Amino acid sequence: MNSARASLILATFLGGLVSGVLFYALTDKGADANPYESLPKAAEPAVTADVARAMTNDDAKGLANQLDMEVLQQLQTAIEPLADIRSMKFVGAVEKNGRTLAAYVAGGRTTDGMDVLVGLVLRIAGDQIVGVN
Amino acid sequence: MLGLNLLAPVVRTVMAMLLVGGLMGYAGTAFTTTMVVDSGILGGGGESSDAHKYILALLQRESESLSQLRPARDVISRALEQQNVSQQSEEVKPLSLTYLGGGSSGQISVHIYAVEIQAGGGQYQFFPLALTIVGGKVVRVE
Repeated sequence: MNSARASLILATFLGGLVSGVLFYALTDKGADANPYESLPKAAEPAVTADVARAMTNDDAKGLANQLDMEVLQQLQTAIEPLADIRSMKFVGAVEKNGRTLAAYVAGGRTTDGMDVLVGLVLRIAGDQIVGVN
Repeated sequence: MLGLNLLAPVVRTVMAMLLVGGLMGYAGTAFTTTMVVDSGILGGGGESSDAHKYILALLQRESESLSQLRPARDVISRALEQQNVSQQSEEVKPLSLTYLGGGSSGQISVHIYAVEIQAGGGQYQFFPLALTIVGGKVVRVE
């Protein structure tokens, strides 16, 4: 009798578990699909990879050689409030009409010692970095 | 209580097990699917559902949805945002939306998109948007 009771309890629990899963599957609306076209992804451009490497390695001279003053100023604004850059992770790029957007997520610390992440995108035209968002 | 004493013990046990199992199945599935989808293991690149909803609401000028996905703010700030969204040109037509990727650290995650639009007068724009999300709310858009 005890084993029969235990079996009944286990069976009803499993039945409830399966019912819960099915109920979720039937009622969950999920995220809306993207109604717009998506551009095909591109590989990481060499020119932005060099910049990311210089930023990670704290190579100010290298950055100064690779970027003009205007782009450096845009980069300075884009990485705020990061003060100490620990990592630069390439997350994706797209190209359209001769212009490429290369996206990175920079990780590091603020002047207060707080860990933060910042997203930045380097704009490329004609194999040159022309801007930062 | 609630007439449960009128039911046989077996029936009470079965009902309780069904209820407990059902709740655990529902909650466990919801938790697991959210974690798996956001991690990108099954593809989708780890796009956050909050970021996805926000970017769609931004392109479709749904000010109410945008407010729900931002941290709680005073009523005046929300009114200003709604006015700003409604005053944007009705002729802006999104042409494409591409999720480039993102990263996360603890409660903070960053998700980056590339957007193409056709503004009124045929002006074409191709630009990125980076969303910073903390605790399920979009705290920064740039």
